Amino acid sequence: MISLRRTFFAAGFTAGLLLAAIAPAAAQDRLVIAGRDATFGTALASMVTAYQALNPTVRIERLELPGGQLYERIALNARERARALDVLMLDDIWAPEFMANGWLANLDQLGGVQGPFVRSADAVSRGPAGQMLAAPMVGNVAMFAFNAEILARHNIAPPTTWTQVAAAGRALQQAEPGSTPIAFRGVRGNPIVTGFIPVLGAFGGEIVNAQGRAALDSPQALAALQYFVSLRPYLPRGVETWNANEVRQAIEQGRIAIALEFWPGWAGTLDDASRSRVVGRVNLVSPPGETRGPAPMLGAWMLGVAADSPNAARAADFIRFVLSAENQKRMAIETGNPPTLTALYSDPDLVQRFRWFPAQLAALEAAQPRPRITQWNRVESILGEQLQIALIGQASPQEALAEANRQIARAMAR
Amino acid sequence: MKPRLIVLLLAPALLLFALLTVYPLVRVLLLAFTATEHGFAEARFVGFENFVELQEGRAFRRAAWNTVAFALMATISELLLGLALALLLDRAFPGRRWITLVLLAPYVLSTIVVGAVWRAWFHYDIGFLNSVLRSIGLPGVPWLFDPNLALSSIVLVDVWQATPFCFLILYAGLRAIPPELHEAARMDGAGAWRRLRDVTLPLLAPYLLVAGLMRTVDSFKLFDKVYAMTGGGPGNATETLSMHVHRLAFRFFDIGLASAAALVMVVVAGLLAALYARQIMRPPA
Repeated sequence: MISLRRTFFAAGFTAGLLLAAIAPAAAQDRLVIAGRDATFGTALASMVTAYQALNPTVRIERLELPGGQLYERIALNARERARALDVLMLDDIWAPEFMANGWLANLDQLGGVQGPFVRSADAVSRGPAGQMLAAPMVGNVAMFAFNAEILARHNIAPPTTWTQVAAAGRALQQAEPGSTPIAFRGVRGNPIVTGFIPVLGAFGGEIVNAQGRAALDSPQALAALQYFVSLRPYLPRGVETWNANEVRQAIEQGRIAIALEFWPGWAGTLDDASRSRVVGRVNLVSPPGETRGPAPMLGAWMLGVAADSPNAARAADFIRFVLSAENQKRMAIETGNPPTLTALYSDPDLVQRFRWFPAQLAALEAAQPRPRITQWNRVESILGEQLQIALIGQASPQEALAEANRQIARAMAR
Repeated sequence: MKPRLIVLLLAPALLLFALLTVYPLVRVLLLAFTATEHGFAEARFVGFENFVELQEGRAFRRAAWNTVAFALMATISELLLGLALALLLDRAFPGRRWITLVLLAPYVLSTIVVGAVWRAWFHYDIGFLNSVLRSIGLPGVPWLFDPNLALSSIVLVDVWQATPFCFLILYAGLRAIPPELHEAARMDGAGAWRRLRDVTLPLLAPYLLVAGLMRTVDSFKLFDKVYAMTGGGPGNATETLSMHVHRLAFRFFDIGLASAAALVMVVVAGLLAALYARQIMRPPA
């Protein structure tokens, strides 16, 4: 009995020593990255492989999640202080909430990240005191895409106002009955909202005004949504389920002539003859205006270090690696990932590969971020639901905006 | 057995029940009357404000309607189909065992996998179902993006997956009916329909109630299929109460409002379960 007790004691003591020896070492060599799926995921995956090759002792785990689920994961981790994540990939619209809640580590104190970044992307990466809290990885800006060859074939000038866009859609449908020449992402939530915002801005509307109050109960917002819904006859069947892949494929296969919203991150294969039927025929430009001039919408994706990361130094090192000029160029060539370093927009290899880079840089530098409010995620979800309700005819534009405004007012009051 | 020993033996189960059921329920009950984004530390008492907001907002009412409609359509369909299959397979014929195995296959699949597969089948342009329809000269159906059709499409998927469950319960019930009763009825001149109506169904009633109760409560909690196939859209045509609570809690972090919605769900589900249980516990006539 006594020898059995001693044996158990010895085994337990040894196990404890082993655990104590292993545990800190595991934290030191482990990096958990929470990132996006699709092309962003592919870009990040190649960076993980490259970083792993240079740092074989580091155990890297990468989570690949769609936008909504990524937000849930990283927000929950931050709220619960779970210490489960190190590198966070976040949309610039989530940054105000993350920065205000202190969920991001100060990158300047972790060795900084080398720029210079495009002005608009750099601005949304910084906290109130100018400290870098998340570094921009994807220099996305909402652009407008049209198939110049299709328009020219029907003697339609490239539209510069939203009214001209609708007229072009009508003319194209009359010329080819049964065709559906216009498309955008109709999935409720972030996709449909990002398609609507350039229209709303061009009509002079706002979601939230400068005083932080819901502002969708304006004639301008109503005019914008009525216009948006009026495009219905020119949209493909099932556009309510369309996301990035569907819009990109439709443009690449020549099935649509106009995409209201087209992100440079989707454009990597536009001129790839093995994938695209419209090589050299699609132009990316700033979105049209209407009562106001065009205001390109920024949509940067950033990399930050979780404030509760158990491996902050390593996480910052990984971010510096990804955002180096060499690797940003590599990601651009391999996956079409839009860079965030200003210098790369005049790189001869990239300009030759992506002929819309000059227009993209101009749009990026003029780009406006979405409202910098901590409640944006909720506001976007509310608006995204009501926009789709209006689009499918479950409610009139007026009813949908009234409901959205009521819910947003409640969200802003919290 | 000594009472103290009984209590001691029951203690672990009771503790688990208290931790996993009673504690969360009480917590939800209390948070339902607060405004908070996290827990009690940041909570502010707001009385019935959350319930007023639920009642005023269209989203909750629509989610409640969708949930009730889904539960009714799915449960009734599954019971009827399960009964038909049980009656069909309650007789010997060649290959019965293999057919039963094939029928049970959907039930063992993961719900998320089922949702993902059916989403591909429902695809308007390239989905299996519309391809079949077009091959026989019929037009494609907007299964998941017609707001009047999307919920029924999800019911179809649930019936496909959950009917085997009802079949199993009802089949067990059929096997429990003494064959002498059917024999006696046959000798009295009762035909197949009379035997079904006057012998089989009355004796199968408790099994129907059990299957109905379990399917109703399960349908009430519907989340994963909707999440996988439509995300609650188009519009809010397929958003269920579970999805609504999930959105409030984990997208909006409005824990108070989410708790209020969850509490309403618990009360309604509890009432439904109590109604069923009352029928099941009723002593036989």
